[in-house]
Amino acid sequence: MAYQVSIFLENKIGHLRKITTLLAENQINIRTMNLTHTSNDWGVLNLIVDFPDKAHQVLNSQNFSVALREVIALEMDDHPGGLDNLLGKVEAAGVNFTNAYSRILKAGGEAFLILDSADTEQAREKLKKLGLAPLDDETVYGK
Amino acid sequence: MFWERNIETLEKDQLQVLQSERLARTLNQAVQAPFYKKIFEEYQVDPKKIKRSSEIKNLPFTTKQDLRDNVPYGLLTIDQKEVIRLHCSSGTTGNPIVVFHTRHDIDSWSNLMARSLFAAGVRDTDVFQNICGYGLFTGGLGFQYGCETLGCLSIPAGAGNTARQIKLMQDYGTTAIHAIPSYLNRLHEFIVAKGMDARKDLKLKKMMIGAEPYTEEQRVRIQEMFGIKAYNSYGLTEMNGPGVAFECECQSGLHIWEDAYIVEIIDPKTLEPVPDGEIGELVMTTLDRHAVPILRFRTRDLTRIIPGKCDCGRTHKRIDRITGRTDDMFIVKGCNVFPMQVEAVLLQIPEVANNYMIKLETINDNSEMIIEVEVLSNWFRGDIARLDGLKKQIEHGIRNEVLVKPIIRMVEAGSLPVSEGKAVRVQDLRNLN
Repeated sequence: MAYQVSIFLENKIGHLRKITTLLAENQINIRTMNLTHTSNDWGVLNLIVDFPDKAHQVLNSQNFSVALREVIALEMDDHPGGLDNLLGKVEAAGVNFTNAYSRILKAGGEAFLILDSADTEQAREKLKKLGLAPLDDETVYGK
Repeated sequence: MFWERNIETLEKDQLQVLQSERLARTLNQAVQAPFYKKIFEEYQVDPKKIKRSSEIKNLPFTTKQDLRDNVPYGLLTIDQKEVIRLHCSSGTTGNPIVVFHTRHDIDSWSNLMARSLFAAGVRDTDVFQNICGYGLFTGGLGFQYGCETLGCLSIPAGAGNTARQIKLMQDYGTTAIHAIPSYLNRLHEFIVAKGMDARKDLKLKKMMIGAEPYTEEQRVRIQEMFGIKAYNSYGLTEMNGPGVAFECECQSGLHIWEDAYIVEIIDPKTLEPVPDGEIGELVMTTLDRHAVPILRFRTRDLTRIIPGKCDCGRTHKRIDRITGRTDDMFIVKGCNVFPMQVEAVLLQIPEVANNYMIKLETINDNSEMIIEVEVLSNWFRGDIARLDGLKKQIEHGIRNEVLVKPIIRMVEAGSLPVSEGKAVRVQDLRNLN
């Protein structure tokens, strides 16, 4: 089960950097990221890192509003139609999601898609029925 | 030109005679109310012994808390059968105060309102569009009855719906309007956006403004935008509503109608009167109200008596624009708001609890109430839907309570000042002075 580190951020100069600096100082590697913002002056930063528990602890100790959130990582191919093919299966499984972002593992080779669903467990069950298993944590975290 | 020349230009000594007569009558009436009966006994006040208006100093003050504590009927002096209307303040925290009116009271108020409008140059030939909320808020019906008494063609347009406001102005050739100043900014923006010129394409001749704090500079800007004069209005529900004090065409202070009210300015700390010209708290006594007479009401509004005579010939005292409050109430978008009301809403929302700050800011010339809420790890789950839901929940909760829609700002944990003892939770950052 993959976890995403979600951090509440105000949309101000330097605020994102405070996070990256803290992670760098603690030797935490960011595998992929995504920043969702609303029409308001704030947003949520989502990170996939190599050590989510450690990142959560470090950020929490510095008084950031941070949450560990379970997401689903699905493998896809880095070639034309790769994402489309995967989404076809997700659609067939009847899974809706609120956020998605990706990372290429090997150019022209493997990639993965992170799906954030309101009900992760239910989404995982639905995908499982179609034989779509989440990617193993080691691959996601790059260990 | 006067609405009632004999009253409006009454010499000081005669005005005092009139006040003394009316005060005696008011005290006889007041003692019929359970609240004042008790107070008179407690302070050993014999209303029959007070013969002159200057002796009013022997009476105790009435506070807003007294009014709250005696809701609903503690200040009512007569049989409910005689009452034809009530107005009450907004809010559900504590008791909203209530004022009942007999037919006489409504007539008296309507006349004061007509007199006020006439002083500001409104005539029966005017088409008067009242752009403010009707209902419990006194600004709607107060102006409405005043306009009708004066004989204007009144348009009870109500608040909001700017497109329709402009259409009404065009269709019926509105010549006078009443609105809160921040709304006039929006109205003007809308007019410009429609490709119109507010100074040429409308028939407006004058504006009445009030019900929220604003600076003289803001008034001047509004006058320039529309190319017409804007007259200041002052009123409060406890003293009827609008029509308590109003600017005449000289625009040099607001005449406060002394045949209907005894006016005192006191030092809010010593409670002693301050000399004319000095700023203090406005204290008022009704002189012509039957259902709910109120004695020495501490308005909490800070102002001063402007010394000297007004060029218009009216002898009634003039008060200056309100410069502040002696309590923590603030006014935004025409609504009186006590921080306590906002806090009561926020405390009920577990995510917010104590982690908030109320800020008043001027944004695009409008007064806005901003609620800053810290997003804390103990409830943050990383989803935007929850933050949006929380924002809506706070918006609705506060709007229902104080009738003002706030702007909600989510801020990072640790950005608000740490509370030490009784934290200052309201910051007024508006350009009011």
